[in-house]
Order: sequence, then structure tokens, then C-alpha cells
Amino acid sequence: MNAAPALVGYTAAVGFAAPYLLLRADWPHRAPALAAAVWHALAVSFSFGAALSAASLAMPAEHLHAGMVGLLHACGLDVGVGRPDPEIAARLAVGVPAAIGIALVASFAFHVVRARRVRSEHREAVDLVGRHSARLCATVLPYDTPAAYCLPGRDPRIVISDAAVRHLTPEQLGAVLEHEQAHIAGRHHLVLATVEAFYSVFRWVPLARHAREQTALLLEMIADDRALRSHSHEALATAMYEMAAARTPKGALAAGGQSALIRLKRVLGPRKTAHPALWGSVAAAALTVPLLPLLVACPPGLG
Amino acid sequence: MRRLGDLEAEIMDRLWTWNRPATVREIVDDINRNRPVAYTTVMTVTNILYGKGWLLRGKQGRAWLYSPVRSREAYAAALMEDGLGESKDRRAALVAFVENMSDEEQAALRKALRNTGRQAGQAEADS
Repeated sequence: MNAAPALVGYTAAVGFAAPYLLLRADWPHRAPALAAAVWHALAVSFSFGAALSAASLAMPAEHLHAGMVGLLHACGLDVGVGRPDPEIAARLAVGVPAAIGIALVASFAFHVVRARRVRSEHREAVDLVGRHSARLCATVLPYDTPAAYCLPGRDPRIVISDAAVRHLTPEQLGAVLEHEQAHIAGRHHLVLATVEAFYSVFRWVPLARHAREQTALLLEMIADDRALRSHSHEALATAMYEMAAARTPKGALAAGGQSALIRLKRVLGPRKTAHPALWGSVAAAALTVPLLPLLVACPPGLG
Repeated sequence: MRRLGDLEAEIMDRLWTWNRPATVREIVDDINRNRPVAYTTVMTVTNILYGKGWLLRGKQGRAWLYSPVRSREAYAAALMEDGLGESKDRRAALVAFVENMSDEEQAALRKALRNTGRQAGQAEADS
């Protein structure tokens, strides 16, 4: 039996249909960590699916070779149908999946290393220009707009403007710092590097684009939830508004712009947690999804 | 054991506060009010800062006069804008507390906040 069509179909469904289903669901904002895990599971599943599709299309068997030629035909590529060369096909069957794997790992490493370099240069400058506040556990920079961000990773820093320290109440300030602390403690920069890497390799797949955008938003929600454990909803929401309103509006950067509004409404809205049954089944799905391509490729029943 | 970065920060701090060109001798004397530090150490670190592009220098007689390239506020603004992702390609490196928003989004935020403020106020009045 030829698994190639099933694999290609599965991979296409994960890459092109699944993101829209997930975007339309209403539970991800109630369980952001779980949703981030599902986006990652889909990305892993897609990568496996793509690699196995390539392998099975190139498999050194007559009918499979025909399958690949047929697919290329369908894509508008006309290849001269010569005799199938089993050796080249075998090399392709190993080479293409390996190339996908190497590209993903290399891209992840590249993003992590580059981000670390940028951050350490930035941290060095922040240490020179800013004043470390032991009370806030943060570095204060003279800047006349309330703003805060963090430099995660090794030797992390929370950077906050002196305007934020002046204008926000201690409670609001605490909520902001706790939010940034959550990014650092959760190593959110590595999660972002994963989806960035996936996006650099599969740029044209909707799953990659949405996984990147949604993961960024979900990580903010995770950090918000962490801040809400010890601070009031009003404090976090007001701090969020004060900081967002002070920033210069910029039309071009619309992609993430709406996230502040979504987050604020979520923070102010009634607290809803995902139902345990839903949570359990989604978690089980997140664990299974990466393995599905393997099941499709080698159905156990067929040995 | 103090790190090199601490001494760098002390030197920059003084030059920014004085707001005028200064010699290494002046900086050493000022630091020596709080703690002992060798002239050569400060000279080395000042040279490093010059090499990194933080300081300008000009000769006056036999001594070099050092001054910051930009004010502390100018550096801080550039860093903040960088950190908040207003310059391109910093998304992966840093996470800003909130991102940029359009005017409509700000209005919507304000409305959402006002509504809860009112509800909270009512709840207090009711109880």
C-alpha cells in the first residue's frame, strides 16, 4: 500500500486547515499554556508529516516513483519520465527528510544565538545607562513614557522607565514586574525561538504564520495570569492601559497591535477556566498529534 | 570583586552628571572619595569606553579630556525604543509589556476600563 497520498493529505490538513479551526475555537484564551502546546504539537506534526511525505514519495519502488512524478505533474512541473533510478530515489528518500530536520534545528540554533547576542549587547548598554533598583529588582532608565520590557535568558534584566515608576501605583508596578518576571522564569524566549524557526523554514504555510503570532499572544496571556495570582485585575489592566496609551500609535505594526486589547478584555472579563474534561482531551490530543504522521506512514495493522 | 562593567558605569555616571569634559585624573579622584582605585585601572577602562564608542576625547595640553558621545537620556531613549520593538527585527530578542496600538484600539481599551471601574464602584456602593 502506498501511504504517500494519505500522508500528503494529512500534512496539508495540519498545515492549512488546522490553524483556522484552532483560531476559531474559544478555549485557547482560557487555557493559554495548553493552546501554546497545541500550536507546537501541530508544528511538530507538520514537520514529521512533511518529512515522511517526502520520504514515501521518493521511496525506491516503481509505483511510488510514479506517485512522485504524478505529484510533480499536478504541480505543473513536467519531468521527463525516464526509468526510475532506485539509487537516486533512495538518496532522496533519506536526504529530503534529513534536510527538513537539519533546516529546523539550524534555524532554531540561529534564532537562539542571534537573539542572545542582541540581548547581551543591549544588556551591557542598559547596565551603563540605567540604575539598578534593588527594591524593584529592575533596571530603571530615564524615559518620559511609562514602559517596561525584559531581557530574558542568562543574566536576565527587567527594564522599566522612570516614568512608569513615577506614574504607576505600587500595586500596578508590582503587576507589571510580575508579568515580566513570568516571561523570564518561563523561558518564553525559547518558546518564541521555536515558532520563529518553524516560520523561517515553512514561511508559506498558514500554520507557521499563525503559530508565530498566536504563540506570542498566548505567552503574554500566560504572563498576565501569573501576575494575576498576586495582583488585582484592575491593577494589571490599568497598568496595561497606561502603558499602551502612552505609546506612539503606529499603523504599520498592526499585526500584534490588537493583542493589548484582547489581553485587556480578557483580564477584565469574567474568569473562565477551561473545563477539566476539555482540558484533558485537548492535552491528550496535543500529545498524540505529533505521532499521527508515523501512524499514517506505517499503519500498525499492515505491519 | 567588582566587575569591569561596574567601573564602566561609575565612569559614565560621573561624566553624565558633570556634563562637561573631564580628565581621567578628575574621575579617579572622585571615585577615590568612596573607594580606592588605581589610576591605571580607570585609564584602561576609560580607554575601553572610548574604543566602544561611548566617549569622545580631545587633547588639552598633555591630558586627554573625555566626554560622553550622547546624553544619558538619548541613550536611554534609543535603548527603550529598541527594547519595545520599535526598531525592526527585535521581536525575537525582547518581550515588551504591551505593543503598539491604533487610536481606535486605545479608545476601546479606555471604554473597557471605564466599564469595569463603574461596575466596581457600583459593587462598593451596593455593599
